[in-house]
Amino acid sequence: MHERLSFYVKRESALHQLNPLTKLTLVFGLILPAFLVPFYWTPHLLLLLVVFPLAFLGKVQGEYFTAVTKLILPAAGFLFVMQALFIPGGETVLAKLWFLTLTQESLMYAFANAVRIFVMVSSFTLFMLTTHPSELMSDLTQRGLPGQFAYVIIATLQIIPQMQAKASTIIAAQRSRGLDTESSFARRVQALVPLVGPLVFGSLVEVEERAIAIEARGFTSRRPKTSLREIYDRPLDKGLRWLLILIMLASLVSRIWFS
Amino acid sequence: MPIVKLQQVTYHYPFTEKPALQDINLEVEEGEFVAVIGPNGAGKSTLCYTLAGFIPHFYKGELKGIVEVDGVLVQDSDLSDWVLKVGLVFQNPFNQISGAKYTVFEEVAFGLENSGVPRSEIIRRVEEVLQMTGIADLADRSPYSLSGGQQQRVALASILVMQPKVLVLDEPTSQMDPIGTREVFGVIRQMAEQGMTVVMAEHKVEWIAQFADRVIALWEGKIYLEGKPHEVLTDERLVEKGFGVSRYTTTARLALPRGLWQKERPLPVTLEEAVAGFSALRNARRKQG
Amino acid sequence: MNIQIENLSFRYPNGVLALRRVSLEIAPGEQVAVIGQNGAGKTTLVKHLNGLLLPTEGRVRIGDWDTRHYSVAKLARRVGYVFQNPDEQLFTKTVAEEIAFGPRNLGYPGERIQELVEDALQLTQLQAMRNTNPYDLSPTWRKMVAIASILAMDTPILVFDEPTTGQDAASVTRLAMIIAELKRRGKTVITITHDIDFCAENFARVIVMGGGQVLLDGPARTVLGKAEILAQTYVDPPQITRLGLRLGLAEVVCTPQEFLDAFEKQCAA
Repeated sequence: MHERLSFYVKRESALHQLNPLTKLTLVFGLILPAFLVPFYWTPHLLLLLVVFPLAFLGKVQGEYFTAVTKLILPAAGFLFVMQALFIPGGETVLAKLWFLTLTQESLMYAFANAVRIFVMVSSFTLFMLTTHPSELMSDLTQRGLPGQFAYVIIATLQIIPQMQAKASTIIAAQRSRGLDTESSFARRVQALVPLVGPLVFGSLVEVEERAIAIEARGFTSRRPKTSLREIYDRPLDKGLRWLLILIMLASLVSRIWFS
Repeated sequence: MPIVKLQQVTYHYPFTEKPALQDINLEVEEGEFVAVIGPNGAGKSTLCYTLAGFIPHFYKGELKGIVEVDGVLVQDSDLSDWVLKVGLVFQNPFNQISGAKYTVFEEVAFGLENSGVPRSEIIRRVEEVLQMTGIADLADRSPYSLSGGQQQRVALASILVMQPKVLVLDEPTSQMDPIGTREVFGVIRQMAEQGMTVVMAEHKVEWIAQFADRVIALWEGKIYLEGKPHEVLTDERLVEKGFGVSRYTTTARLALPRGLWQKERPLPVTLEEAVAGFSALRNARRKQG
Repeated sequence: MNIQIENLSFRYPNGVLALRRVSLEIAPGEQVAVIGQNGAGKTTLVKHLNGLLLPTEGRVRIGDWDTRHYSVAKLARRVGYVFQNPDEQLFTKTVAEEIAFGPRNLGYPGERIQELVEDALQLTQLQAMRNTNPYDLSPTWRKMVAIASILAMDTPILVFDEPTTGQDAASVTRLAMIIAELKRRGKTVITITHDIDFCAENFARVIVMGGGQVLLDGPARTVLGKAEILAQTYVDPPQITRLGLRLGLAEVVCTPQEFLDAFEKQCAA
């Protein structure tokens, strides 16, 4: 059974205490400069001087660096190799492999891009590790986000592990009926219909019943909703958000100014 | 004054020719516990959806007749208002999890948040209902990680917490073991005694006999039999139509021609009644012998 | 076909030890019910029979096949497994096609598939619905389609996981008839059930599980009378058995007939 349905790790830390919207702003306050500021080493410095320390500030360094080695580094690495090899242009040829040419310019370009992606995925990871999805949604709903919209986001986040569990049951059931899903590629493709069919139909039934279930709990009621969770928005949060907005604006301006 | 009133209710699901409910007349008094029995497809779920307002507000199709709860016609009410009066717990526990919440506590609080109940009252009511339904120890678990029986208790708690006047339950104990079933019937009985009106579709006749005030037997969308639990549950006509019958009733019926059950004695539905009946016969025989 | 389980232990990847040194032998043609509360290890045990799970320790043999050396698709020739939820397997446009899927996977000749489908339709009383889309049937009948789709694979061993859940009286009777017919044909039937009365009336051998171990294993009459051990795993004895115990009958009874015979004897004594 899936006990953990979110990435959230419950800890007491300065990052955990921030208002969800502040943290969401922080995510974009990191991404925008990393992509926009024309100074070459911006993403690298952000990663080393801001993102990594934030992981320790949030006391989620263990989880974060696991994600880095398992997910972020391989993805960024792949991107780096592809871009370095396939982006045309550049004059300083470093190596030639068959029809591929590796130039210093493409190498530098790929390196910066890979780190940008690294910063982007890292900020989101830290955000998810330190923010409970319900808290985010309660906060956004109180700020005027429609309830239905918030529901769709949360339900989608939760449905992924559900779908995985369901898919593996279906696979088990069909293999038990002699369906060969293991041998050749052609067989695997043939096996898709008996696997996808029940998944889709099952989901349709589920959606109908779930709609009844949330309706029975007054989901579409027009009364003003209340929230079980208390969400704090301290002056520090407001200050930080303004600061981050300034940073984002500044990076935008720097982009326009220097290009 | 009955709190639930159905008059001449006939309902067709969209694109079907055969009515799912036909000429249903039903009145339920405040605080009454009514059990609905019948084979699958007899219309139990449809009746539940009708009482809970999902017919006609969610399922379209054609609804004829009068459906009235607490003096208000279902057609004149919004579904979101209706559900505050009539709570619905249905069979599949998994699909009753809202999907919006990460813990059992939050899950049970969901309905109260939607109805704008203040935070401190939410916490008080949720704690109370978790105790009552015996799931206080699950408060911090993810609803998805629970067994079917536990999820059914969460589904029940999520509706009870909203304190509806009428509670409609469609086989709420289908995935529970005997101990869970006994506890849940106990909770529901207790709610009825506190004035909540209960309509419950259920297969488990031994429990119905002990807890319900009245039984309605549905057959092909119509009310086939209606009355006191014992009269209905031991009625011979149930067997012909393939209704579920208590094993104690079956045993006593088989005992009759062999002279092992006293003719004047009503047939038993529960274990206690069977024990009493068979003991009485044995004692009578031993006196003769 | 013989089933041999030797010292089977199983640990899930999350570290939970679900089975602890279980040893069992099931002879060809036996009718076995497996009972016990949630988490007792029932489903984990039967998932070993067709290789859906492989032992962490010990081994499982189906006839002369060690499950570690055969794929699930191969083992499907010997063990048919009916899952709890029919909606997690039905995908064709008609009932008959759905039933033919299994035997076709097993590579049976066309004529034999025809026969097997007909036979399965008849056993489950689905003849009139052969051309219906399974999803137009009620959940009760969808369950029958799922059962028929496994029956048609004509395996010597059949496993049912909670076949009575959500079924009404008529459908449970139909299930009992199917199990009786399988017995007559000499098939091995292993059923997980929490319906203890269904278990008492249809199975000669009962295995009680608790905490990943076999607590009791033996003839239904012996096992189901042991109220104290059953209580450990939150199982009540069957209704008729309880009635017999309450009246102090000399023997443990499982069906109304058995009860009446024993009661008549007691009255006469």
